[in-house]
Amino acid sequence: MNVENPDKKIQLQKDLFQPVDKRASQSEKISRPSLNFWQDAWLRLKGNKGAIVGLILITIITFMAIFGPSMNKYTYKQQNISHAKLPPKIAALENVDWLPFDGKDKDGFDMYEAKNVKEYYWFGTDDLGRDLWTRTWYGTRISIYIGVLAAVIDFLIGIAYGGVSGFYGGRVDNVMQRIIEILMGIPHLIVVILFILVFEPGIFSITMAMVITGWVNMARIVRGQFLKLKTQEFVLASRTLGASGSRLIWKHLMPNVMGPIIVTTMFTIPSAIFTEAFLSFIGLGIRPPEASLGSLVNDGFKSLQMYPHMLIIPSVIISLLILSFNLLADGLRDALDPKMRK
Amino acid sequence: MANFILKRLVYMFITLLIIATITFFLMKLLPGSPLTNQEKLSPAQQQLILDKYGLNDPLPVQYVNYMTNLFKGDLGLSFQYDNRPVTKMIGERIGPSAYLGFQAVLFGTIVGIVLGILAALKQNSVMDYAATTIAVLGISIPSFVFAGLLQYYLAVKYPIFPVAAWEGFEYTVLPTIALSVFVIATVARYMRSELLEVLSSDYIMLARAKGVSSAAIMVKHALRNALIPIITLLGPLAVNIMTGSLVIERIFGIPGIGEQFVRSIMTNDFTVIMGITLFYSVLFIFIVFIVDILYGVIDPRIRLSGGKK
Repeated sequence: MNVENPDKKIQLQKDLFQPVDKRASQSEKISRPSLNFWQDAWLRLKGNKGAIVGLILITIITFMAIFGPSMNKYTYKQQNISHAKLPPKIAALENVDWLPFDGKDKDGFDMYEAKNVKEYYWFGTDDLGRDLWTRTWYGTRISIYIGVLAAVIDFLIGIAYGGVSGFYGGRVDNVMQRIIEILMGIPHLIVVILFILVFEPGIFSITMAMVITGWVNMARIVRGQFLKLKTQEFVLASRTLGASGSRLIWKHLMPNVMGPIIVTTMFTIPSAIFTEAFLSFIGLGIRPPEASLGSLVNDGFKSLQMYPHMLIIPSVIISLLILSFNLLADGLRDALDPKMRK
Repeated sequence: MANFILKRLVYMFITLLIIATITFFLMKLLPGSPLTNQEKLSPAQQQLILDKYGLNDPLPVQYVNYMTNLFKGDLGLSFQYDNRPVTKMIGERIGPSAYLGFQAVLFGTIVGIVLGILAALKQNSVMDYAATTIAVLGISIPSFVFAGLLQYYLAVKYPIFPVAAWEGFEYTVLPTIALSVFVIATVARYMRSELLEVLSSDYIMLARAKGVSSAAIMVKHALRNALIPIITLLGPLAVNIMTGSLVIERIFGIPGIGEQFVRSIMTNDFTVIMGITLFYSVLFIFIVFIVDILYGVIDPRIRLSGGKK
């Protein structure tokens, strides 16, 4: 609209216009392939750089966690005191000055020459002469195991509890919600710590402690979604047609709750990995000779001043792991449920 | 309101009872007895000690005794530190922890709010990306890793700050930064999204249409409304500061509760572990309670009786 000259008439000529193609078959034609929910979500996820970076990092780290420990001849518990506290040295990179893989310590002193060591330790060794490359990836394996486990627990217990509570409602829901409210009141980490004190520290007690506390958040979300969805028309229609409770849950409610469930699961994984690392760090998690990224960081602190590689390498890996899961989870949240976007 | 507070108080009480009960039975389940660490005692002497501490009484009696002691504020005696009362040990160490916690929350909140505002003011600018990156990194990097890197680079490699100890303000700088990273990240993230939402609302547009200056809109209208939800963050942040303090105090050698807790875990000092656990639980439950009430007072739109989202 021309604001300055509202009275000025626009000259319209006939040849500026063309008749619209009126064929019905053409106007109804769908020019792009139709996408279902998941294809649409995948498209949105692909557009998110952070999420893709996260996905690639997770793939690389997982690959290394599976195959890394068997890439050289050392095992995670094999000690060799005469090779203790060696800095990282990698064959192809040892002559690149700015990379810390030349086998020299922080004062530029070649430890491999001094100790007459012919082998290469890619990430160096710890104070007992154990190969840190193997130990780091072995620890990563445990972190990923814990993350996957947390996701499975979320799925099994969280969905079942939240689903039953939300679907049946009424008194069942009331009782189940009171239990959840009390569980929410107890600080998570405290329960985990108490649990580990009673049983021996180790992967089993971490697992058990997570079974007890890990699913509450998921249960709340699933319940909320079920409550919202079960009163909607499509569920009512199916119910009227005589669908059974399990059919309603699995065929109608579950697919619609899948988005929030996946997003919640994805956020559980990094926090579970963090919890395990934290517990191992304060001495409640994995016990030596086994390794976890948390306990490796803890070991690294002891020789922080002289051998920083022991601290820095596991620190970087654990941070990257948690970061990439967070990035992916953020991306998934935006892709699956734009309403949850923050 | 009174009804709501009463209901919450009842819940608080039940939760505390349950935690105390769990703690009691876990203590009984724990492998070994308080005497396993002592020098060889004759069976008669052992019986004498067990009698003295009431450990020969039937379980229900012990439970009632334990509960009454709890209500009197008696958490038992430490096994490792010459039978010193746990309450006293906590009391002595509460100072540094509280100081550090408050300093970290204060510093983190201020930095987080500023970062969030900068990011929201110029959405999709370099500043916005920087703030978002800091937020993601702050949430992802575990506090103990961050503390380690800080200590290595700012105290060992380039000795700007002291490595560890508790002797003055400069000793609190690194631990405060390490503790507040998560606070900064969370607050900045929240502040950004809240502010973006508020800035696109109708009353901001109205104020703009009336010709109010950008600065006045920001301070008088946008910030006030965006700040309200930050209060809900206090609960999770307090928990994070508590767990963070366990490792941060240990790394920087700060004589606080967290450091004592980790030390007790390493030396199997069960009464101290249980005592601090209970202390943390009470603190946590109390903070959640306060946050719930504060939230209702500040923002009357929140329905107190209804469930949370």
